[in-house]
Amino acid sequence: MRRKSKALASLVAASLVIAACGGDDDDDATPAEEPATEEPADDAEEPADDMEEPADDMEEPADDMEEPADDMEEPADDMSDEPATDVVTDFGVDAENMVIRVGLNADLTGPFASLVVDIVEAQKVYWEVFNEAGGYRGWTVEPVVIDSGYATDKGIQNYQEFAQESEEGVLMITENTGSPITSAIALDAADDNMLTIPLSWASLWPDPEYGSAILEKQATYCIESINGVEWLKDLVESEGGEATLAIIGRPGEYGEDGSAGAKIAAEELGIPIVYDGTGAVAGDDRTAVISELVNSEATIVWNTLTPGELLDIFGNAVSQGFTGYWSGNSPSFSYPVHMPSDFADQFSQYYFQSYYQAPWATPGIPEMDRLVAEMTARRPDLNISDAYTTGWIEGMMAETLFRTAIDQGDLTRENIVAISQDPSFSVDFGGLSANQSWPQDYNEALVRSTWIYDVDASQYNLIPMSEVTADNPGSSGLIPIEQDYVGTVAGSYQFDGPCIEPSS
Amino acid sequence: MSIATALLANAGTTFIQTLVKALALGSVYILIALGFVIIFKGTQVLNFAAGAISMAGAIFLAIMVGDGGLPFLPFDNPLAPSLDDPDLVLWLINLVIVLFIAALFGLVIERIAIRPMVGQPLFAMAVITLGIEVAIRPFNLDATAIQARTLNVPWGADAWELWGAQIPKSYVAAMIIATIAGAVVILFYRSRLGVAMRAVAFDQEAAMAQGINVGRVFAIAWGLGAALAALGAIVYGMAPFPPGGQVSQEIHPILALRVLPVIVLGGLDSASGAVYGGLIIASAEVFAGEYLSQWNSTLGSGYSTIVPYVVMLIVLLVKPYGLFGTAEVRRV
Repeated sequence: MRRKSKALASLVAASLVIAACGGDDDDDATPAEEPATEEPADDAEEPADDMEEPADDMEEPADDMEEPADDMEEPADDMSDEPATDVVTDFGVDAENMVIRVGLNADLTGPFASLVVDIVEAQKVYWEVFNEAGGYRGWTVEPVVIDSGYATDKGIQNYQEFAQESEEGVLMITENTGSPITSAIALDAADDNMLTIPLSWASLWPDPEYGSAILEKQATYCIESINGVEWLKDLVESEGGEATLAIIGRPGEYGEDGSAGAKIAAEELGIPIVYDGTGAVAGDDRTAVISELVNSEATIVWNTLTPGELLDIFGNAVSQGFTGYWSGNSPSFSYPVHMPSDFADQFSQYYFQSYYQAPWATPGIPEMDRLVAEMTARRPDLNISDAYTTGWIEGMMAETLFRTAIDQGDLTRENIVAISQDPSFSVDFGGLSANQSWPQDYNEALVRSTWIYDVDASQYNLIPMSEVTADNPGSSGLIPIEQDYVGTVAGSYQFDGPCIEPSS
Repeated sequence: MSIATALLANAGTTFIQTLVKALALGSVYILIALGFVIIFKGTQVLNFAAGAISMAGAIFLAIMVGDGGLPFLPFDNPLAPSLDDPDLVLWLINLVIVLFIAALFGLVIERIAIRPMVGQPLFAMAVITLGIEVAIRPFNLDATAIQARTLNVPWGADAWELWGAQIPKSYVAAMIIATIAGAVVILFYRSRLGVAMRAVAFDQEAAMAQGINVGRVFAIAWGLGAALAALGAIVYGMAPFPPGGQVSQEIHPILALRVLPVIVLGGLDSASGAVYGGLIIASAEVFAGEYLSQWNSTLGSGYSTIVPYVVMLIVLLVKPYGLFGTAEVRRV
């Protein structure tokens, strides 16, 4: 039996015991609001029956999974269905035709394009569904997508186009790829009242000082690292080993935030850090980092890298006989990059993916069933993708904001930001990810749960959605083994503020 | 005693692995540097499009052996090896075909963009090659942005063990391929055509007066240069080189830039300079990365990337035309 399999079995057994001893499950969790959308086309594949069974050993959602706030706005079904024509607007809204413009400042050609293209497509489908159902009280949404290529200067230029104070601008940015670009526009966004949903999980954004107009979703990189390192420690110890930690991160908010979380976990759990490569991955030759990592003989590695950097460092380390377990912040691991690589088997053996949400076609999640049905019906030629969940979630956040704003009769940028800062504002993701609200207190605002997947290259089978059948469901090769996992450290740690300082 | 023995053994293992890596990286540098040198020797133009051309060649192979298609054509590749268990012979046949396609690509570029510039200032021709780089780059980025482009290398990331050291098969393959390519270049220079190219490099007008078809020499230089550049990028795509068996959108576009210190060090017009330069630069880079790694925080992240330029500067201070470059003699 492979080393990883043995360790997994031990950990799973421990998880089952913990789950059995646990308290309530999430039966009483509020289901996602069901927006009045069109039924999927009749010829859409039935999503539920042919989906992969969940791993039997998948841990139940953590008991302390965040519940929607009690005073959360009621679902909008009780509002009038009459068109809301008496609405105050300013920029990015075509009041005459009742169209809200949203911006996606997306990396469609850069290092994260393999994931972001799918995220953008899912959000576009989300708005198609929304619009075809008549929108909300007559208001529909028009997504405007501009490629940043993950270049900060281009991202800033795109932002300026979105921020135009006219109908040609957008009401809010519903997807902004990357920490560097988000960091570069954060202050302008605050000044312009341009609410922005980042594709960045930096711990800066829950802090109103840095992210008053940045509506971050899910756990921060810092918390993701804390959970991931604790989980890996338990894994190593479950097979009788001793956890020693190597940290590898790239410079900048993303890398430094992830590395900071790993250090917090190490300190709280008493794990020796045998190699600290925070910010060490720079330049094209990573021989020095690989050498130090291999010589450290760490038993667990936490990385915060780009997929290409991870492939290089991981590949060379295992080629030199390094046998520690690996995990890292998303999107260090990217299945479209790593699964077809020559190190797919080694990733299966040593790597665990950390993430924030349910992957494609996870059974038992109603909102996932809807996502699968709509994506399959509307984009049958596209491949299945775990990244669709992210775009869908971004759409849910924005829709919740717009419904509230329309009901309030105020679709101005300022009001959108105000709603996002209202303690009663929360979004129920219907099981796709932990429900979330955005109170102004830093510690209260944090989502502390993450997901952990096993990497199994033997199951990797990306196929067009139209070809999905019961016998051939397709898979990214990422199998959830922990859903809404909250480690002991992440669950109770009190932060003084963000884990890092902004770089700009 | 046993600890000392173990440490020595470990040091030996590390040294062997580092040496093999240096030789393998040097092989990649040699291949691409030879591409630069052949074009420069034949046309006196420094080919700034080498990066895009080399990456395009690697993408051609990925299309043929990974996607099972044919570059530029909407047909399946009847010789595509299996994805699960690629056949070595089929893969090598595809490699040879791709080298021909890359050479053809070079010929087309030369005919369209370079030939009309014959007789114009060399600086203008160099700028034209920059334009070619910019024109090809979007194709490369589009081809690799969304979809992983696997090279489907038959031996994958497999390695041999030698005295405890892991010797990746790809590293050995890189050395063999570079040796064969180097031999081909040497034979070419000794051929009638090669002599003609050297004559053109020495004095175009005199060569023309001797009946040498300069246009033909230009075309062959570009064809051969493009094929060598493509071969370098393909070899660099093999695991455990950083792209991990794929064409990398992050790494491949800058590969040719990393070779610039090699050709400057070796001499722009010297094939043997490319060989020595490749080995010296790669060794400096890899050995510094390995043996100075404990001072990474002091030297700065990515310091090993700077080492080639430091070596180049030191050599240029002593030999301004590179180790093997032809010194320009001017009458004053």
